[in-house]
Amino acid sequence: MLYRTAGQFKTTYAADFALFPVRQDAILLAVILAFAFIILPLTANEFTFQALLIPVLIYSLAALGLNILTGYAGQLSLGTGAFMGVGAYACYKIITIFPEVNIVVAILASGFFSAAVGVAFGVPSLRIKGFYLAIATLAAQFFLVWLFEKWAWLYNYSASGAIQVPNIDMFGVTVAGPTANTMVQYYFVLSIVALVTIFAINITRGRIGRIWKAVRDMDIAAELVGINLMKAKLSAFFVSSYIVGIAGALFVFLWRGAAEPNLFDIPLSFRVLFIAIIGGLGSILGNYLGALLIVALPVIIGFVPEALGLPISSATVEHLNIMTIGALIIFFLIVEPHGLARFWQVIREKLIIWPFPH
Amino acid sequence: MKTMLKSVLLASAVAFAAPALAQDALNLPNLSYRTGPFATSGIPLADGQADYLTMLNERDGGLNGLKLNGEECETGYNTEKGVECYEKTKGTSLVTQPWSTGITLQVLPKAAVDKRAIFAAGYGFSAMQDGATFPWAFNPPSSYWDGASILLQAISDGNLENLKGKKIALLHLDHPYGKEPIPLLEEYAKKYGFTFLPIPVGLKEMQNQSAQWLQIRREKPDFVLMWGWGAMNGGALTEAAKTGYPMNQFLGIWWSGHDADMKLVGEKGKGYRAVSFSFPNSESKVMKDVKQLVVDAGKSKAQPGEMEEVFYQRGIVLSAILVEAATEAQKHFSTKALDAEQFRWGLENVKFTPERIKEIGLDGMVVPFSTSCSNHTGHGGAWIIEWDGAKFNKTSDKIWEADRATIDALAAVKAKEYADANKPWTTQTCQ
Repeated sequence: MLYRTAGQFKTTYAADFALFPVRQDAILLAVILAFAFIILPLTANEFTFQALLIPVLIYSLAALGLNILTGYAGQLSLGTGAFMGVGAYACYKIITIFPEVNIVVAILASGFFSAAVGVAFGVPSLRIKGFYLAIATLAAQFFLVWLFEKWAWLYNYSASGAIQVPNIDMFGVTVAGPTANTMVQYYFVLSIVALVTIFAINITRGRIGRIWKAVRDMDIAAELVGINLMKAKLSAFFVSSYIVGIAGALFVFLWRGAAEPNLFDIPLSFRVLFIAIIGGLGSILGNYLGALLIVALPVIIGFVPEALGLPISSATVEHLNIMTIGALIIFFLIVEPHGLARFWQVIREKLIIWPFPH
Repeated sequence: MKTMLKSVLLASAVAFAAPALAQDALNLPNLSYRTGPFATSGIPLADGQADYLTMLNERDGGLNGLKLNGEECETGYNTEKGVECYEKTKGTSLVTQPWSTGITLQVLPKAAVDKRAIFAAGYGFSAMQDGATFPWAFNPPSSYWDGASILLQAISDGNLENLKGKKIALLHLDHPYGKEPIPLLEEYAKKYGFTFLPIPVGLKEMQNQSAQWLQIRREKPDFVLMWGWGAMNGGALTEAAKTGYPMNQFLGIWWSGHDADMKLVGEKGKGYRAVSFSFPNSESKVMKDVKQLVVDAGKSKAQPGEMEEVFYQRGIVLSAILVEAATEAQKHFSTKALDAEQFRWGLENVKFTPERIKEIGLDGMVVPFSTSCSNHTGHGGAWIIEWDGAKFNKTSDKIWEADRATIDALAAVKAKEYADANKPWTTQTCQ
């Protein structure tokens, strides 16, 4: 009833290939965007911004970057955390060397550094596949984190080895650094994430996206129909690492405010990979759903005992939290091995034919 | 379509996140860690801190009628969680206790904006001693640079000239915490002509330090100083015992002088020394009260035997410093309920004189020190304690003093660097 597609006729090919062939999808998205842009900022407090909204958006973006590589082009990567680090350190160096550069420019430019590094470590993908490639990207992970620790120029020779985000103004408003208003930061992150998402949706729907999918499904067949594998794989590495790099720069500049090399170590890569897998490989929506499950849910669960008035110590809550999230991950993977995005798709299909199932 | 679930969840989160206001208590939240690889160090400290506040609540009904609330937030020594905890607890808190140099560095700029005092007792950024530059940060009673200076004095019998030509290794956690003493030690190495060799231990290698100890065996340093924490301490001590490194040439900072770590090597750890600004004294009045009113009454999480240890009683001391700051502030502002600004004033005016320490009932448990507007560390110095195979003993009653001239000069430089990098940075003027 709510999702009835009857009466929505497509009279041109363009209409058939539109972003939202079903009108209800567009309405739903509009509602969610209105919620994200207007209602949440009016109602949320600082803790909600800092611990829930901003991290979910940034992790979604990182997972989106990884998903382009792993989900669309089929190249498994375990180096996401390190590529995020490249973006963060590049942004830090740009900001400290050229303090007058606009932060948006710095963040977008830092993506190119991680893209270049990503392509360099993606070269082995031309010869190796699957788990072997994963090991090659793992090498990137170890090498880059080691580099962040040892190359003191990257953190401006600070004694602690950590990078600190200075206060950065954009058009008279402080957007990054300790004095920045969290709502400003939220809007900043939301705008960039929304922009990149639109870009990602369109690139994956178009010619390039189809090339990637062909390579993912069977690279020999793709080569036989005339796809240049080197171009396809390296462009996937480029786009993916670019988005991951932006996510890394946002991660440090708009959220954490400071970072040490350990932050970009392998747990971060795994976290992003989990988000992409649980959300659903080869989907854009899945990254957001996965980030909600992995990033936001633990924070929310942490409040449950307190809200119910149960006298449980914070350490026990932490243990319970880890167990609950672990159980939920297994539950979702059993119920829907293709991720939460597929879950939503099934629900949507059921809604379209409801109340007359086949 | 994209984020419907998200919106629903967030709406519920907004409802949860509304801070609970409590005017009838003094909120001294603690970002503790009872989980993860650093739990061995974190648990006794958190227990000690909590038990002291419980004891005061039981014995005196709190502080001048206000209950003391030392609510804990679990960080697992994870910086990300730590910042989340800071945001969660800052609503009604008077102070934040980050319990990690990494988290301290992260919240240092935020706390100055939010006007919350950071109480990083014996850890954090050493340049925080400069109260004029860091009005909101406190690290009494001694900083890492104080500790490093005292350790060098201890191994050179009080005369750093004796170190000429020696080789000194720093076995440290590869984390902002472990890197803290490096600038000072490098400066000393230049000045007194010894070779300084930093040996980092990554978070992943804490339990297995064979590579680091292989390097130590090869380089044969005259002394190994340790900046370790959590599982790293036990790992280093077992490796040292295994490779037969002489324990009397192996010394640690106060966070590496933990009974539970030493018990792993027991007799073999005999002769290991650590610098410490606190020392257990189970015969003191406070400890007797804690035992009677909290531990024996079953209100403590402490395991049997934990109470006698250095870390547990250090937790007691640290809570006592916080309560003393609250007492001073209550007296000065003639009010019971304090706000964060008033509490900050209190932290700036803690006078732990020997008489006051005795009056509180902490005899021999902490070095005397006093903070002031320009001096947020207090520089109480420290004792040298030595492991005798079963417990730590003071090598003597001498309280070692750090080399003020070198440290203060370096702290001024680093504080200025920090303030410049974080413009606009709020400072204060001190008379």
